[in-house]
Amino acid sequence: MMQRFGAWPALSFIGLFFVLPLLALVPEAVSENGAAFARMLADPLFWPALTNSVLLGLSAGVLSTLVGVAVAWQLAQASPFWRDKLMALLGLPLAFSGMVIAYGFILAFGRAGFVTQILGYFGADTAEIGGWVYTVGGLTFAYAYYLIPRVALTLYPVFANLDLRPIEAARTLGATPRRAFLDVVVPEVGPSVLGSCAVVSALAMGTYGTALALVGTQVNILPLLLYAKIGDGGADFPVTSALSIILLALCSLVLGLGDHFSQRREHATFE
Amino acid sequence: MSLSFEQVGFQYRGTSIGVHDVSLSLASGELVALIGPSGSGKTTLLRLTAGLISGHSGRIVLGGRDLSNMPVHERHIGMMFQHYALFPHLTVLDNVGYGLKMAGVEAGARRKKAQEMLDLVGLGSLAGRRPAQLSGGQQQRVALARALAYSPQALLLDEPLSALDASIRGQLRDQIRQLQQQFGATTLLVTHDQEEALAMADRIALLDQGRVLQYGTPTELYENPLNETVARFVGLSTICTATVCGEGEIDTGYARLRCDTGARAPGEQVKLLARPEHVEADPPMQALNRMEGRVTLNRYLGSFNRYDFMPHGAQLPWLGEARSAPADAIAVAPEHIRLLAA
Repeated sequence: MMQRFGAWPALSFIGLFFVLPLLALVPEAVSENGAAFARMLADPLFWPALTNSVLLGLSAGVLSTLVGVAVAWQLAQASPFWRDKLMALLGLPLAFSGMVIAYGFILAFGRAGFVTQILGYFGADTAEIGGWVYTVGGLTFAYAYYLIPRVALTLYPVFANLDLRPIEAARTLGATPRRAFLDVVVPEVGPSVLGSCAVVSALAMGTYGTALALVGTQVNILPLLLYAKIGDGGADFPVTSALSIILLALCSLVLGLGDHFSQRREHATFE
Repeated sequence: MSLSFEQVGFQYRGTSIGVHDVSLSLASGELVALIGPSGSGKTTLLRLTAGLISGHSGRIVLGGRDLSNMPVHERHIGMMFQHYALFPHLTVLDNVGYGLKMAGVEAGARRKKAQEMLDLVGLGSLAGRRPAQLSGGQQQRVALARALAYSPQALLLDEPLSALDASIRGQLRDQIRQLQQQFGATTLLVTHDQEEALAMADRIALLDQGRVLQYGTPTELYENPLNETVARFVGLSTICTATVCGEGEIDTGYARLRCDTGARAPGEQVKLLARPEHVEADPPMQALNRMEGRVTLNRYLGSFNRYDFMPHGAQLPWLGEARSAPADAIAVAPEHIRLLAA
């Protein structure tokens, strides 16, 4: 009984602040019998924005996952003393505002950034390096900054609870160390790693705070295109809604893929 | 395939724990149990044989091959772990076939052999399941089938029964022994359960602090333990101090007992050892080594009683076993009292 009652506040909160606003998008987007979608598709900015968003999501997702996996592995191996310290440190980027991160990046890697200047001192082209921060590539690194801790903290328990005994069993049965890793470790942690990669990719596709602070609207990605349309004086509400739905669908698709992988893992283990 | 340890030594870094100067030999098809208290080195010896730890001195030789610097996957051994260590994402059939797969056996033959092995351990109908869908006993039988499927040169059993319920333990114990004999697998069994060792092993090596205290048949260890540590570890017993007071006689402080004192001189301190099944309840008045006293604790165990009997004036009770506990006296025949060095 308590549990059922306890669920109501949460459900009404979700209904009021999540489901309702999303539902409000639908009538707006389809108000002209789909003409808004046609206009959106015809917008010369739309396809590059979609491509850039997918690229950014995938590159930031993959980069954060690669580094995050390494960090999670270290966390799992570390002594409790160092693990606590490292986890506190990893929590910091998660708590920082995207603005702070963006400003920090500009100070470090921007056209007048100190890293850019140092590299320039050694003969690198400062204009090229300084300009790079304001591209999809630069955004990838800025995003990785706070996505890596997310991957690391999500995957740390997976690695910490990894049962190493089947690896020994595989080794005694004739598997080389590499083979044992591929046959035992990869199937065990792979689904979680892919799932985590999907979550951070979706986040990278949908987020805009850091991007806005870092590049303004110089880089054409879906969230910034949406931002520009909302901020636009003569706003085309149906197209803005259609764009929102596309962005939402893209992120949901990637999240859904991640969920699919996680479920496959559960099936594999507890079927 | 014979297996031998020649002056094998190993120490965990920064400790004195490990094994020291261990020499043992196992004949082909023999099952040897390694027993001993925690930290005695029995698991270390097993893992050295498997190659899961390395860097030992001396030689470990299996079928004429020195295993010392050989990687784990080339040693051709089958191993059973305490907690099964099955591959959770593979079916039971694929688990059993894994060793064959690594050996390059083609899929059809592999499946056939794996199915045969599963039938042999009575799990043929569960071939398509995942390990998590099986009980502990079933998982360990899968592990047994997996370890034997690719006909390893040696079988290593690391406390294979200790995670299981008592009811299943006995059953699986017999099954392991049966299959081990059927396959003629030279086997090392690590166990902390001396009853398991006595029931399964051809020979037992008792280790303490990394050294072999005694290596012999179960009967030898039980009936002729070399010292008090072996006697205490193998089987139940009464052990107490006594003084030789003459030829064929010792004094416990509360009773003078007849027994074989051998070449010991009067006044020498000894440890007396008596097994509970040799303690006679309510013996006739004229019986040798008769002691009067009372039962301080009785345990009813179905087919017999195991009791503590405190002779008058004694500090420590005698442990005895009988159909019924004695009323007021026990006796131990002289030939059943063994003397050990104090």
